[in-house]
Amino acid sequence: MRIERSAMADREWPGCAKSLKGVILDLCGVLYESGEGDGVAIPGSIEAVKKLKESDLQLRFCTNETQATREKFVAKLQRLGFDISVCEVFPPAPAAIAVLKERNLRPHLLVHDGLVPEFDGVDKSSPNCVIIGDAAEHFTYQNLNEAFRVLIGLEKPVLFSLGQGRYYKETDGLKLDVGVYMKALEYACDLKAEVIGKPSPTFFQSVLNDMQLQAHEVLMIGDDLLNDVGGAQHCGMKGVQVRTGKYRPSDERHPAVTADGTVDDLAQAVDVILRQRGR
Amino acid sequence: MAGRRALKAVLIDLSGTLHIEDSAVPGAQDALKRLRQAAVAVKFVTNTTKESKRNLLERLQRLNFDVQEKEIFTSLSAARSLLEQKQLRPLLLVEDSALEDFTGFNTSEPNAVVIGLAPDHFNYQTLNNAFSCCDPVVFLFEHRCAMILDGAPLIAIHKARYYKRKDGLALGPGPFVTGLEFATDCKATVVGKPEKTFFTQALSDLGCSPGEAVMIGDDARDDVGGAQDAGMLGILVRTGKYRQGDENKISPPPHLTCDSFPDAVDHILQNLLQ
Repeated sequence: MRIERSAMADREWPGCAKSLKGVILDLCGVLYESGEGDGVAIPGSIEAVKKLKESDLQLRFCTNETQATREKFVAKLQRLGFDISVCEVFPPAPAAIAVLKERNLRPHLLVHDGLVPEFDGVDKSSPNCVIIGDAAEHFTYQNLNEAFRVLIGLEKPVLFSLGQGRYYKETDGLKLDVGVYMKALEYACDLKAEVIGKPSPTFFQSVLNDMQLQAHEVLMIGDDLLNDVGGAQHCGMKGVQVRTGKYRPSDERHPAVTADGTVDDLAQAVDVILRQRGR
Repeated sequence: MAGRRALKAVLIDLSGTLHIEDSAVPGAQDALKRLRQAAVAVKFVTNTTKESKRNLLERLQRLNFDVQEKEIFTSLSAARSLLEQKQLRPLLLVEDSALEDFTGFNTSEPNAVVIGLAPDHFNYQTLNNAFSCCDPVVFLFEHRCAMILDGAPLIAIHKARYYKRKDGLALGPGPFVTGLEFATDCKATVVGKPEKTFFTQALSDLGCSPGEAVMIGDDARDDVGGAQDAGMLGILVRTGKYRQGDENKISPPPHLTCDSFPDAVDHILQNLLQ
């Protein structure tokens, strides 16, 4: 009886940490809060990443960040004090470029200026699809209308959305995310967008492939209940939510998604994981 | 027609039905005069997000239509009624030219967002403001007051997907309403045509029921379909945005499809009055 109960406990958070082989972390809202300049590191998170790296767990970072190229974005994280390298970070844009190549598509871009260089080598002449990312202040009526006209003029309109978040938090308040504008274009053109990024299962799978691990061996930690936690769980991973970033108390009684665990912040999550593993 | 009561009111669409841009539909002024000699009330109903009643009235009078301001009922009027009824303080995302239809509202600490077609206002910053104020959680947080928004936090003037501009197609308010619905996880209350409440509100001060009214318009879905869903008769005219086959796009089909407004009036005078 006692053994059975502990076997069950080991399938659940935090007991499941004993058998983990890898951890995937979301970035914004978990490692740092975005805002003016580089934003600020969340207390304890720099040390927490360091501890994970020193452990026997594999570590990757999975983000829907689309305001900068991967190189610039990683440089920012390094400036904030994180020990992190480009090959460990998985944002949507490189995945989107792979899809474009595979399907022979030429994009019209509605993305942040900072992300444009990522698409330098991509043929953008006479576009036959639209890619929308978090364009922030570039989400003007005129720019949206331009994307709309490209789509409505295509016989078979294709819209890719880099993520589908509703909003995120900056130091001066909550901001509308790409999903809002994706929905607007979907409604205008009567189509369904293809999402590249979290919570798309193919996106998570590409990270698991890189780690060469099975989903049940990996834990995802994020601040977004639907995209991080729900997306990871949908792929067979465990999902833990931190009470930082865009976390809201109502997330803990969400009708559709229940996190395997909820912790105050990344530092606490890492302490719990490493304690379970006896380190 | 069995069981229908005598006709008491005629609702008439404006653009595309009485006039196209700045020219009247041939014979429309005289037809309106003929209609006014019958014992029926007349009201002019239109979906607009930018034109105040005064703007519309001025145009109709320029084109020699016999119209009074109190006979005009627009999607902006419908939004106004809803705000008054629910005693809401609106944040207005409409064009400046429409603002005069919203005078007299307390707009400090808004607790509802009215969204119309306002290309100039549809940018990132304004949408973020609209978002923070109609999202109940953020609103409570920011204003630290324990009020629960119920009823109509997000009011859409109408939800058109796009419209035609001289330089090509342009996004209508619908896509932005849909985006805000997604962000806030709430459903907007749409007040313009083809909503049932739009038609019943337009009839409310005439003291007649939908079963005693007919709607004339050039938009099969928004004018005719909407009116018929509300219990009225609908007459589709083949002017304005009408395209061949539009009458087959709605079920049940229009009560009547005819060439233009004067034919619709003749039909009413000959067949619908007792």
